[in-house]
Amino acid sequence: MIDLDRLFEKSTRNIARRTSRRSLLSLTGKLIAGGLALPLLPVERANAGPPTKGKNASDTGAPIDPGDPQSCEYWRYCAIDGYLCSCCGGTTSSCPPGTEMSPITWIGTCINPGDGRAYIISYNDCCGRSSCGRCRCNRNEGERPMVRPQANNDINWCLGTQSAAYHCSTAIILGTATGSKP
Amino acid sequence: MRGGRLMLPALLVLLASAAAAGGSNITFIGVAQPERARVNWVLKCQGCHRPDGSGSPHTAPALAGQVARFVGLPGGREYLGRVPGVADAALDNKELAELLNWTLQRFDRGHLPPNFRPYDAAELAALRRAPLRTDASQMRRTILQAPHAIR
Repeated sequence: MIDLDRLFEKSTRNIARRTSRRSLLSLTGKLIAGGLALPLLPVERANAGPPTKGKNASDTGAPIDPGDPQSCEYWRYCAIDGYLCSCCGGTTSSCPPGTEMSPITWIGTCINPGDGRAYIISYNDCCGRSSCGRCRCNRNEGERPMVRPQANNDINWCLGTQSAAYHCSTAIILGTATGSKP
Repeated sequence: MRGGRLMLPALLVLLASAAAAGGSNITFIGVAQPERARVNWVLKCQGCHRPDGSGSPHTAPALAGQVARFVGLPGGREYLGRVPGVADAALDNKELAELLNWTLQRFDRGHLPPNFRPYDAAELAALRRAPLRTDASQMRRTILQAPHAIR
């Protein structure tokens, strides 16, 4: 025990002789600043998982909403004609910055493979900037020729917006199409 | 604070569902299946006439607070069955009559005459055989400018 006492006394005196109170403050400061900076390092983000490429959190991996919103094959796009807002800085339900959502829309129904039900989809266009040009998608299932303008999608749906310039299209779920033919 | 922010959407959802439940108690005459009529409205009409029936300038006139005025005007009842959106809708005559009756009562119950006789499939079948095209807006103006038109 005496040896242990002596050991601690010696090491304490050594520390006291070699260091100052200012160096203790400096060390504490470094620890605090370093601790705060640690989460900002790229190491932390790399551990958070693969990049999500701007998808909606609710659109990824949910069995009820399967598929990739940046792919034309995604189920909600069954009656779309245009550029996918998911590829243009927006999402399936929101416009990219700097564009305005048209209140006048093309509406259709699509079967969700996740639950086999028909959903009413509103393809609100985002307007006010020139064409996005990414992820062109023209499926237009159920479309009718131009002689039936109510059922034809080959018109500019940027109506009721400040600008008629078409940028991209969203695919917003309005509800389920119960008891009706699409 | 976070809990407080979440309260508002939750409250809105509650209010919306209460309103929807209350709405289903309102009677629609000439409407066999109100839910089917509502879905047909969303699919065939809402895109241009907007969810609240306020319409879009130049292409789809406002329905809210307007549409039922036609029922009581000379030529108005026929006009409603011949406008392009009605006559060309991809629905059979039965569902089309139901949709038209539902729309009149949903968006302009106040202007509906007390003795309103709902449309039926046979009437729509006859009217949509003579659909209006570009002449629809002129006919609309003529009907509304009739001397005894309800304002």
